[in-house]
Amino acid sequence: MIVVRAPLRISFVGGGTDIGDFYRRHPGRVISTAIDKYVYVVINRTPLIPKVSARYSVSETVNKPDELQHTRIKAALLDLGIGRGIEIGSFASLPAKTGLGSSSSFSVALMKGLHAFNGRKLDKGEAAEEASRLEIELLGEPIGKQDQYASAFGGFNVIQFNPNESVDVNPVLLDYKKRLGLENSILLFFTGITRAASSVLTEQKSNIDKKMDTLKQMAESVHEFEKKLLAGDFKGLGEMLHQAWLRKKSLASNVSNSAIDDFYGAGMDSGAWGGKILGAGGGGCVMLLVPEEKKPAVREAMKKVAISRNLEEFREIPVKFVQSGAEIVFNGDENR
Amino acid sequence: MRDFIVEFSKKFTTAIEELPREEIAKALNVLQGAYENDGRVYVFGNGGSWGIAGHWVTDFNKTIFSNHLEKHKHRFVVSRIPASEEELTAWANDVGYDMVFAGPLDNVLEDGDVVIAISSSGNSTNIIKAVEVAKKHKVPVIGLSGFDASNKLNQLADIKIHVPTPKGEYEVVESTHDTVMHLMTKYFKSYFDHLAETDK
Repeated sequence: MIVVRAPLRISFVGGGTDIGDFYRRHPGRVISTAIDKYVYVVINRTPLIPKVSARYSVSETVNKPDELQHTRIKAALLDLGIGRGIEIGSFASLPAKTGLGSSSSFSVALMKGLHAFNGRKLDKGEAAEEASRLEIELLGEPIGKQDQYASAFGGFNVIQFNPNESVDVNPVLLDYKKRLGLENSILLFFTGITRAASSVLTEQKSNIDKKMDTLKQMAESVHEFEKKLLAGDFKGLGEMLHQAWLRKKSLASNVSNSAIDDFYGAGMDSGAWGGKILGAGGGGCVMLLVPEEKKPAVREAMKKVAISRNLEEFREIPVKFVQSGAEIVFNGDENR
Repeated sequence: MRDFIVEFSKKFTTAIEELPREEIAKALNVLQGAYENDGRVYVFGNGGSWGIAGHWVTDFNKTIFSNHLEKHKHRFVVSRIPASEEELTAWANDVGYDMVFAGPLDNVLEDGDVVIAISSSGNSTNIIKAVEVAKKHKVPVIGLSGFDASNKLNQLADIKIHVPTPKGEYEVVESTHDTVMHLMTKYFKSYFDHLAETDK
């Protein structure tokens, strides 16, 4: 059996510039951090059971990979030439579609695990590229590469996507005081609204021509964000996020909706410095940067919005940043 | 005598001032990752560097947590390899001295581990063989070297903590490596003290 763990992520600025249509013309750039919430993929070799099983929210058992309903597991098995005699399960700290990059974390863990199943170890860059290849090339999803890189590498990074398809991952060298300072300023709320990133990104992608200038600005603002972060200016970071959120809303009509606007507005009215919606928008999580003394008021205001809109899944998600990326935490397979 | 002391002190001061700060910061991040995920850290070197490796083990496994031993149940797991003279001499005698680090390392490395290789020249064959084993396992290597920057360890390491000196300045290089180890010890000690004192 092989157990792979891959962290989720919080992205701060630059989202959307990691899509090929943009970065092939102008370098894309994001700043993000891995967090202490994980997706686990478990792979078990079953030579005595000549079937293919996938266990996630449903349980599938079929005779060969191309009969699977789960598109990613199916595509990955076919691509890597893995046939019957395998079961694959996934587990997570949070529900899917919260905007914390879990679907790409799953892909990173899956590809890292399946390569290990084939006796091949992947380094961080290889794991990120394999997951991107699975999602973007093999499955044609209209998404970027930031989440695959954030999960594979772990830590707090500026990730740059170059026109020649190379990717530079530069760690932000924060000391523990600033890292804990930012962690303490962040309040993260799952709105209880879920969405698939691809629906929002499809519209965003078709708008790329119109939005080149906005995206260039977003890629550039990563440097300023990093500078303020290294200076420990959390208020400044909040204000930057607010500006970036306004810009992002102009990118696609369905990035926001009235519930999201209510949550965000309630947070701002209660004293948050700024924030953003995590993920491609339309639902997921609201992240706010909040001064210590305003935290109780912000929490209260967010709860009220959730109650007024009957969002039963709404909850605060406590987060810590983590340095480590996707990792094989156990490998007892015969082919290791 | 005084001139000799002043001259040595100057060389050491220069080396300290020119510490590769970014690389040290990257190393701290990588070690933090190993701590969080229960990855193991393996340290080794020859002669004086073997001594630094041993000191690294005690400072990371215990000194870092000393002020609040009871509060920090979760600790670093740092080991010097090979673990005993028996293992060292077995590899040296039966396989060759080049394999005294690579052999034991290949037995234990897993995903999430970190390797710290220490070599003043950066060209010791047994150190380079071990770094190649780490590369095979896709495990990150923190390389502490000296003398010329073109040394093999500095070329191969993912994190390059190089102390530039003329060839043969072992004392300056080893003293600086010791300081890097103590800098890292102090960083994590302050971090864990802070966590204990703010009840995180």
